[in-house]
Amino acid sequence: MKPLKDAQLGAFTFFASALPHDVCGSNGLPLTPNSIKILGRFQLLKTLTHPRLCQYVDISRGKHERLIVVAEHYESNLSDFQKHGKTTSPQKVLQLAYEVLEGLEFMNKHGMVHRALSPHNVLMDCKGNVKLAKFGLYHMTDHGADVDFPIGYPSYLAPEVIAQGSFHPSDPAHDEGPLPSGPKTDVWSLGVLLFELCTGRRLLQNIDIAKRLKFILTLGCMDDIVTVLAEEHGCLDLIKDLPENVLELLRKCLTFRPSKRPTPAELLRDLVFSDVSCFYTSFQKPVSLFSSSLRCAHLELPEDISDLCKDDGDDDYLSERAIDEVYHLWCLAGGDLEKELTNKEIIQSKPPVCTLSNFVLEDGESFGQGRDRSFLLDDTTVTLSLCQLRNRLKDVAGEAYYPLLEDEQSSLPQSNSSNELSSTVTLPLIIRERDTEYQLIRIILFDRLLKAYPYKKNLVWKEARVDIPPLVRGLAWAALLGIEGDIQAKYESIDKDTPIPTDRQIEVDIPRCHQYDELLSSPQGHVKFRRVLKAWVVSHPDLVYWQGLDSLCAPFLYLNFNNEALAYACMSAFIPKYLYNFFLKDNSHVIQEYLTVFSQMIAFHDPELSNHLNEIGFIPDLYAIPWFLTMFTHVFPLHKIFHLWDTLLLGNSSFPFCIGVAILQQLRDRLLANGFNECILLFSDLPEIDIERCVHESINLFCWTPKSTTYRQHAQPPKGSGDSSFGKTATYYSSDYQDTPKTDLSREPLALCDLKAEVSPRISAEDLIDLCELSLAGPTKRTKAGRPKIVAVDIRSVEDFNRGHISGSINIPFNTTFSPDGELLQCPATGLLQNYRGRVIVVISHAMKSAAMFATHLVKVNLLRVCVLDGGINKMKPTGLLTVPSPQI
Amino acid sequence: MKKNKGKAGSTAEKEFVFEFRAGKHNCVLKVPLQFAVQENINDLHGRLMLLHKIPCYIENALRTSLISYIEKETILDYDREAELALQRLTTGEVDVNQLTTAWTRSYVETTLEHARPEEPSWDEDFADVYHELIHSPASDTLLNLEHNYFVSISELISERDMEIKKLQERQAAEMDKVMHELGNTLSDQDVNTVASQHFDAQQVLENKWANELKQVTGIQKQEYQEWVIKLHQDLQKSNNSSKINEEIKVQPSQLSELADSGARMFEEQPQLEESFTIHLGAQLKTMHNLRLVRADVLDFCKHRRHGSSGAKLRRLQTALSLYSSTLCGLVLLVDNRVNSYSGIKRDFATVAKECTDFHFPCLEKQLEEVQQVVLYARAQRSSKQKDQPEISRNGGDDKSKNVERNPSNILPGEFYISRHSNLSEVHVVFHLCVDDNVRSGNITARDPAIMGLRNILKVCCTHDITTITVPLLLVHDMSEEMTIPWCLKRAELVFKCVKGFMMEMASWDGGISRTVQFLVPKSISEEMFYQLSNMLPQIFRVSSTLTLTSKH
Repeated sequence: MKPLKDAQLGAFTFFASALPHDVCGSNGLPLTPNSIKILGRFQLLKTLTHPRLCQYVDISRGKHERLIVVAEHYESNLSDFQKHGKTTSPQKVLQLAYEVLEGLEFMNKHGMVHRALSPHNVLMDCKGNVKLAKFGLYHMTDHGADVDFPIGYPSYLAPEVIAQGSFHPSDPAHDEGPLPSGPKTDVWSLGVLLFELCTGRRLLQNIDIAKRLKFILTLGCMDDIVTVLAEEHGCLDLIKDLPENVLELLRKCLTFRPSKRPTPAELLRDLVFSDVSCFYTSFQKPVSLFSSSLRCAHLELPEDISDLCKDDGDDDYLSERAIDEVYHLWCLAGGDLEKELTNKEIIQSKPPVCTLSNFVLEDGESFGQGRDRSFLLDDTTVTLSLCQLRNRLKDVAGEAYYPLLEDEQSSLPQSNSSNELSSTVTLPLIIRERDTEYQLIRIILFDRLLKAYPYKKNLVWKEARVDIPPLVRGLAWAALLGIEGDIQAKYESIDKDTPIPTDRQIEVDIPRCHQYDELLSSPQGHVKFRRVLKAWVVSHPDLVYWQGLDSLCAPFLYLNFNNEALAYACMSAFIPKYLYNFFLKDNSHVIQEYLTVFSQMIAFHDPELSNHLNEIGFIPDLYAIPWFLTMFTHVFPLHKIFHLWDTLLLGNSSFPFCIGVAILQQLRDRLLANGFNECILLFSDLPEIDIERCVHESINLFCWTPKSTTYRQHAQPPKGSGDSSFGKTATYYSSDYQDTPKTDLSREPLALCDLKAEVSPRISAEDLIDLCELSLAGPTKRTKAGRPKIVAVDIRSVEDFNRGHISGSINIPFNTTFSPDGELLQCPATGLLQNYRGRVIVVISHAMKSAAMFATHLVKVNLLRVCVLDGGINKMKPTGLLTVPSPQI
Repeated sequence: MKKNKGKAGSTAEKEFVFEFRAGKHNCVLKVPLQFAVQENINDLHGRLMLLHKIPCYIENALRTSLISYIEKETILDYDREAELALQRLTTGEVDVNQLTTAWTRSYVETTLEHARPEEPSWDEDFADVYHELIHSPASDTLLNLEHNYFVSISELISERDMEIKKLQERQAAEMDKVMHELGNTLSDQDVNTVASQHFDAQQVLENKWANELKQVTGIQKQEYQEWVIKLHQDLQKSNNSSKINEEIKVQPSQLSELADSGARMFEEQPQLEESFTIHLGAQLKTMHNLRLVRADVLDFCKHRRHGSSGAKLRRLQTALSLYSSTLCGLVLLVDNRVNSYSGIKRDFATVAKECTDFHFPCLEKQLEEVQQVVLYARAQRSSKQKDQPEISRNGGDDKSKNVERNPSNILPGEFYISRHSNLSEVHVVFHLCVDDNVRSGNITARDPAIMGLRNILKVCCTHDITTITVPLLLVHDMSEEMTIPWCLKRAELVFKCVKGFMMEMASWDGGISRTVQFLVPKSISEEMFYQLSNMLPQIFRVSSTLTLTSKH
């Protein structure tokens, strides 16, 4: 969005019309409230950026179908010209007309019509340039069908609009909505507007509406409408004195028959503007982040670079920020739309007890309630004062608005308040997200980093680890997922219209997916949902639509509501990374393996819980499939998903296991106390989960999990090496186990039945060497606290142990624990292991079977973090890392 | 855009023709397009490229020509529609006057700019003043004044009761005497005369008292309103609030004495109640409070006598929220006549009269108004039904017959609303009409009474009633046929339906937290009560208790 500059933020409010009583949609579901329909349609307006249009910023729903729209605003408008009763110079009129038409043409190109053109909707910025306001009202209300009031102002309505009639909702004769108006209606309104400017009078000001409209309709019989109007207003002289091109413009605009009237685009190229048009250059849309064209291709630096650094003496850095940023910060700084409008008496509400109806019929129709005046339309725009925000940010130094990205050491810019900020980082996320100053700094930082994406990809990763500001989350996620290239063209080239067999299922699922959310429950949201899902299904012929894909799509669509291509690209990048082959037609082997590894993870991290769950037979198959298949989007509301995924996207594909274990641990007490039936009931409608705690826990669990323990045969195969050449050096935690080069010491695939038989996960020899710091090359780089502590338990016989073992390992011979036929013997050694409680216990033996059995036993006695060395001691032998204890003397 | 599809001429298929050269071949691409074009042009373009394997060097040319074609045709369509509309005017198909009055009406009725100026409303001004005062230090005085008035009314009422009782005793004695003489000196006719005399005397006495009460309440109301307005003016005038405060504070000391001296014992029945906090919703959960209460429905209306703890607080609470957006409502089950002559209606009216309503018209007047509105609604309905005879639901005939018999009666599932400022815990009373059907054991979720409940909850949404009390068994009193299985079945039905409605409400109002109180009759056994309270958490998802544990 464009910077705020000298603009202000304005808000106006209106009511959507109420729905009829007890009417269901064709699918049997309740109808969508009109306010939600409007909210959905509004979103497109946010993308319309043009120097002649007031930028739309936000819409919010209040009680009882109230909507509040926030947009760019200026105090001065064309009605100021009229107030003095003076005429405007012909040159100025031409200039205004041209600028209005520029705005109209741009709107028309996007399929929109203004319909509400009037002097107070043509705003003027400080330089006297035109900015059209309320241009989106007609679009967002579906040509006025979703509101009770007519759109447009009586004097400025085009004759064909009047002729098509007003469709008052209480009028039973018209069930259908009004016919949509074309772009030419605005040209008429513009004509009236210009006429008023030229003559300095308001059109038919003192006549009541009915007569006014009738008069406009009778103009059809006149030859020269401009002259007739001038006579009617007694200003024929003024009109006669106008230069020919202005008169010609008026005539063209005030053409009665729509077919003869030019469109804004035609008029703009008309000869009447030949004097003016040379002052204007056509507007170029700035290139977006993901496109095939070069973003800085037309960047021209001045000869002397120091010209850029010249201080204009203007300290208002805030106004250089984008409008939506400023609005976001305004809200954080305690801005309250309803309060602002109530203070200006735009919102007037009566006590509800006074407006109750007397009598209600069985079908819900109520009687005896007077028309409530507070529901009438007052479309005055109220300026939102930025004082409070500026006051809040007055201590932020100017440098903070332009952080240097070169310095990789310090993330936060140095400023007076940097101490404060660094202490803010330690506060809970919820508080950080509401801290105005902190968000300002973060947003600016991310904004700059994302502008330099993909070059600054590493820094984005680094900063995302601190947190992601909600305002930029969509793009930040795209960066984390490594989206590149011309996604728009790719998305457009996918056929989303041709019917496919999956359509029916998609149609059923969408109205059930995160519908508490206003955006996703709007008809626009449904359309976009359908398109993105279809695009994914069509472009992945080897995969199929499984229920749950809709939930998976929801966060991406919500964040990139106006950018379906990006939503699609993110989803397409997300699925292979975290859900590789989950959407195969036959995905049972993938899911089975996944769930088995998950249950091993439960045993690894929480043996007590694992024992209990296994005992009552409450296996992951019964509850965890929707968790993983949708990456928790099916079980959590969107705001929780965002916080969860902020971290998930930083981890590798085994991170979801840790989230799963963390959720179980939050419900631990209840699970341990309950039997099978209660557990099923508990999970059928998952209780509230504290998501921040869950994230913390899962990070903690993740750090304690050796990478190779979550090895999956069916995980995504390693990518080609060329892929990761750009920029990012994979860190230990974000890279996948599968991505590391495969060696002899890596884990080997295991048949599913064998995998299922083992309670504890296996660890690769590689990981063992790494974690025990056995490597011959000396200690590895990563030596700090982040790594798990380990203890190796050798269960071979004492003789074997003495012949060579891993240094630091302890020997608990298997045959002292188990009798030859597998029975458990009294074991003092497990007591010994209690001393190492908390460390990762690696069981090493010759035969995998005995090692697994031993590990199972350890889990039975609730020992934490037990795993088994994959391949046993034999794997270690070739490495030459085994040591022989010096014979005792 | 479905609605436009029905119209002739608004959708039309046109053919887009595009010619291009591929090598030596001249190719022609013909695409049938539905106007008005709803789909995304870029998508259409992408699909054409893919489907017809169009070479990529044509891509941009195709796009431009497609866009300009659609633009041109759309403009033509708009023009045609517009010209048609203008033509209809010139041919006289549409009346100009009708058209312009329709426009005028929609401007006048929906926009502030053109609306008729509002006549000042005494009620609303008073509401503002009162709301302001009750949230100021003056609230205490207001309450004491109200209480004072209440005491004098209740003294009057007890006097009345006493006198009526005396009269009845006297009459009974007289009647005894007469009966004793019956057959000896007096005939049946004489007995009848005496009886009718007695009846007349009673009537006269009751009327006298009714008039007196009416007069007193009228005077009280006027005095009170004047006083409130004056107090408000005084407060506004003087900046020195401390002085005013002293002025106000004189009264309470007197009043509190009064209150103490008038402390009569009021035996409070042991109320059984249990509260639950529940979560609704699959992903985003909204929190609500439920309460199961065993009490008499009128307990929520009656003022506790002085001295009982919390009486004043409850009063203050009710007064504070009267003009706020956290109202309390109560569902009262009534028969099909809008009056207050019998049964629970009469009992309720008695309670409502115990204290002057300083804000709203008295119950009688409100009911009169409702009666008129009912007649109006019937007239509207029948005229509408004549217009659309085909839309009559099954059972509609049956109902319409009933209505024709007496249009002032209401039907099961319909309800009227009365507003009160003088009840202890309730501002709004929904008088829901039910018939004898609710006593039978086999009502379903489609029963009118249940639908009425749904509409009541809907009104709660639109008018910010955040606490609502619902009779769980849909009866106020227990009777023989209401066995334990009957109670359980009924409770389950109402619980489940209310749960459904509450989930629906979340989509109407964005999931504002509310309190629903389920009321069971007093005569229900304790055991039954606990059975019901065990049922509730099985139907609603009770939120988990918050366990505070130290981090390990």
